[in-house]
Amino acid sequence: MSMNANEKPMLILKDIHKFYGNNEVLKGVSLEVRKGELVTFVGPSGCGKTTLLRLIGGFTDISSGDIILDGQRINDLPPNLRDTRICFQNYALFPHMTVAENVGYGLKINKWPKDKIAARVHELLEMVELDEFGDRMIDKLSGGQQQRVAFARALSLEPKVLLLDEPLSNLDANLRLVMREEIRKLQERLHITTVFVTHDQFEAMAISDRLVVMKNGLIEQVGTPIEIYERPANEFIAGFVGYVNFMDGRIESIDKTTCNAVVHTEYGQLMITLEQDDVKTGDDVLMVIRPESVSLSLDCQDKRQNVICGTLVSYMYAGSIAKCTVMIGNKKMIIDQYNPRDAQQFLHAAKVEVEIPRSVHLLKKKK
Amino acid sequence: MAAAELSVKLQSSSGSKVKDFLNANLVNILAAVLFLLLAFFLLFPIVMVLLKSLRGAEGFTLQYYKAFFSKQYYFQSLYNTLLLGAINTVVCLVIGFCLAYMTTRGPWILRKPLKLISLIPLIAPPYLFALSLIIMFGRNGLITKMFDLHWQLYGFSGVVISQTLAFIPLAFMMIESTLMSLNPNLEESAYDMGASEATILRTITIPLLAPGLLKAGLLIFVMTIAEFGNAAILGGRTPFLAPDTYTMITGESDFNMGSVLSVILIAPCILIFFIHNYLLEGKKFTTIGGKPVASEPRKITPLIKVPFMIITTVAAGAIFICFAIVFIASFYKILGVTHNITLANYLDFTSNQSIYNSIRVSFVAALIGAVIGVLLAYVIVRGKFFGRTFIEMASLSGFALPGTVLGIGYLLAFSAPPLKLTGGIMILALNCVFRFLAVGVEAGISKLHQIHIEIEEASADLGASFLTTFYRIVLPIMFPAFIAGFLYTFMTAIVSLSAVVFLVSPGFDLAAVKIFDAAVYGEIGIASATTMKLVLIVMICMMILNFISKKTRLGSSMAPTKPT
Repeated sequence: MSMNANEKPMLILKDIHKFYGNNEVLKGVSLEVRKGELVTFVGPSGCGKTTLLRLIGGFTDISSGDIILDGQRINDLPPNLRDTRICFQNYALFPHMTVAENVGYGLKINKWPKDKIAARVHELLEMVELDEFGDRMIDKLSGGQQQRVAFARALSLEPKVLLLDEPLSNLDANLRLVMREEIRKLQERLHITTVFVTHDQFEAMAISDRLVVMKNGLIEQVGTPIEIYERPANEFIAGFVGYVNFMDGRIESIDKTTCNAVVHTEYGQLMITLEQDDVKTGDDVLMVIRPESVSLSLDCQDKRQNVICGTLVSYMYAGSIAKCTVMIGNKKMIIDQYNPRDAQQFLHAAKVEVEIPRSVHLLKKKK
Repeated sequence: MAAAELSVKLQSSSGSKVKDFLNANLVNILAAVLFLLLAFFLLFPIVMVLLKSLRGAEGFTLQYYKAFFSKQYYFQSLYNTLLLGAINTVVCLVIGFCLAYMTTRGPWILRKPLKLISLIPLIAPPYLFALSLIIMFGRNGLITKMFDLHWQLYGFSGVVISQTLAFIPLAFMMIESTLMSLNPNLEESAYDMGASEATILRTITIPLLAPGLLKAGLLIFVMTIAEFGNAAILGGRTPFLAPDTYTMITGESDFNMGSVLSVILIAPCILIFFIHNYLLEGKKFTTIGGKPVASEPRKITPLIKVPFMIITTVAAGAIFICFAIVFIASFYKILGVTHNITLANYLDFTSNQSIYNSIRVSFVAALIGAVIGVLLAYVIVRGKFFGRTFIEMASLSGFALPGTVLGIGYLLAFSAPPLKLTGGIMILALNCVFRFLAVGVEAGISKLHQIHIEIEEASADLGASFLTTFYRIVLPIMFPAFIAGFLYTFMTAIVSLSAVVFLVSPGFDLAAVKIFDAAVYGEIGIASATTMKLVLIVMICMMILNFISKKTRLGSSMAPTKPT
């Protein structure tokens, strides 16, 4: 998934700014998207992700910067002349047309001959498994089917970039998972460059090649789901992509050969195997401890490496997972215990030991 | 202990059987009373008109209808009226669409001012435009004299122009509301798929707007053919049904023929009312909800922008000029003839007397109308009884009924016992109440739809009886609707002319009638000043309404002329 230097990017955003009146909603966004890649803009509402998508689609003028599509600067092209196609959150299917007419709309506008339109529409409907539904009116379809029609319509003209604006947010939870997989499969099969917008960080991680985490009109971090989750650039991102326990510490020493670092915390010394080179001895750091990376066991007898004693204050058993809250000193730590078969013994436990993994990511504190 | 308490409770409740009965049947009792009122004050007069048109000296006869269809004059009148309606409807829809398109899709800076100007006619009585046309293009008109024009204002073209200007806001508001409810993503999708602005209009916007346009068109048609003032003032020798009815009654005292004309006028209205209610029912395109985004201005191609801009500019300009001219004319005895600025028109006793009378009548009408309107709304929304649809239809139909018909109907129905009302202010007030009932009912219904039935159920669950719930919960929540209904009825009643012109007694002039007479007799200054006074009153009402709707989220769903 690393950047292939030979391949030139399909979409380049260069220092994009967008003002609404005096309100700057995008404050200089730059990004390159490779051909065939699925990139997701994710962030809390108001972060500018949808605005950015609409800028790429041409529905909103940019205030400054450049948008380059396949080597061509498209800043001033209206949507109908851009080779991008958008799928709106509410699908925006034309209610006065049938499924086939919807899917064939763009082809008709672009003056395809009738027989070719019919063939292409058939092909597209087959692709989204709706070939029986061509003559249906839109309001006779379920939400998931409507979403497929919208997808087929957006793909009909084989755009260079496909823009998806929260396409799954109107579906119920189970269907969302199914459609997510289908979209990803089709996208990979067609090798179509796709920009996906969502506020759902888990959806973003599951579907994307790369995530673009945005906040307040700025890009906070770009990276693969693993990079974003395991090595977040800052506190905001660490907290945005999942629950996180933070712990303060100071690096006492780093062993250059083993990459082992000793971190001093108020609960004693912890041994961390560094996978990063942006910290050095003496730095104040924030340890990013994910709930599922910590292991929990009963009692607290011998002082082993990286083990801290705590008090189990709540244990919520939920089948595949148990959510535990442990007080360490006066700080709360959330721990996820997967496959909690031995749950019974924790129900009445008070004293527990918590083992912090060696692979913890460290955020350097700003001074 | 519990048993003792219960028995006490039972005793106390059986103590007032009347109260129990009321609690159980209030909605039904209310419905029955309202039904009787509607039957007596709305249906009965219409039936009287129908009977009158069929009853000669020797009982049942069709001779008056024969007379109608055999005389060239009447045929011409009918033809003119329908043609006027058709032209008006088309022109209003085109202009309304252009205006609405620009205020919802056009550049930001144009949206507000355009909207404001196109809504100006709302605060003006519809005959303001006839008046200003007389001032500009009449025999002694400013422009007539300045350019030595030989254009004959009085006649078909004059009526068409004044009617069009008067009905632009209705067309604009209805089309704008459908345009706004259109998901902008639909047009953007078409744009995204490669469609040009013109193609989007042709394949997406207009087809999706069609039911809304049809609705607006039907309503405008009905209202223009029934509109009395402009045709009566500017018609000249060209016959139209509504003013002909007036001459038939007041000039020739021929109630039979007047009734026939009314029935002929009412027929297309009833037809259209049914089309409106049954054919268009549920014919709305629904789309999936999502976050609605305000339509961002698109780059509209000159091919569309230029004609749209020309049409909107001309229309908005004409409205503005008409308004300004009447304002200026109110400070001259006759603008263009006399040259001294004067306040005499504003101080004129008969004018102020008529304004005072109008306020009195409209106030009474608004009070009764708002009460009945809110109660009707409650019965319509919450009631489950036989005849509910009838009540709903009847209470909303007043709007589509030509005013002249209810005018004659009231003359026929209430000039003799059992209920003799002619000559008083009550007949005027009641006439306004039942003609404009739809306004109050609409206000009530839209408010009630915001209240979940659960609120009432919660009150009942906490032990309140139906009466208590109604009194403590429903009425307070409905209060803003009551105020809105009151103000709307007041505004509508105070400018209305077509029905009351039949019902005013000599010596008791209403402002609208005063303006009408003054315009006909060439007292331009008096007519203009009286019009401006009405404009001021309506403007104040609008401001209060605006304030209230902002405070109570009553919202724009209650646009004054919103039909159903």
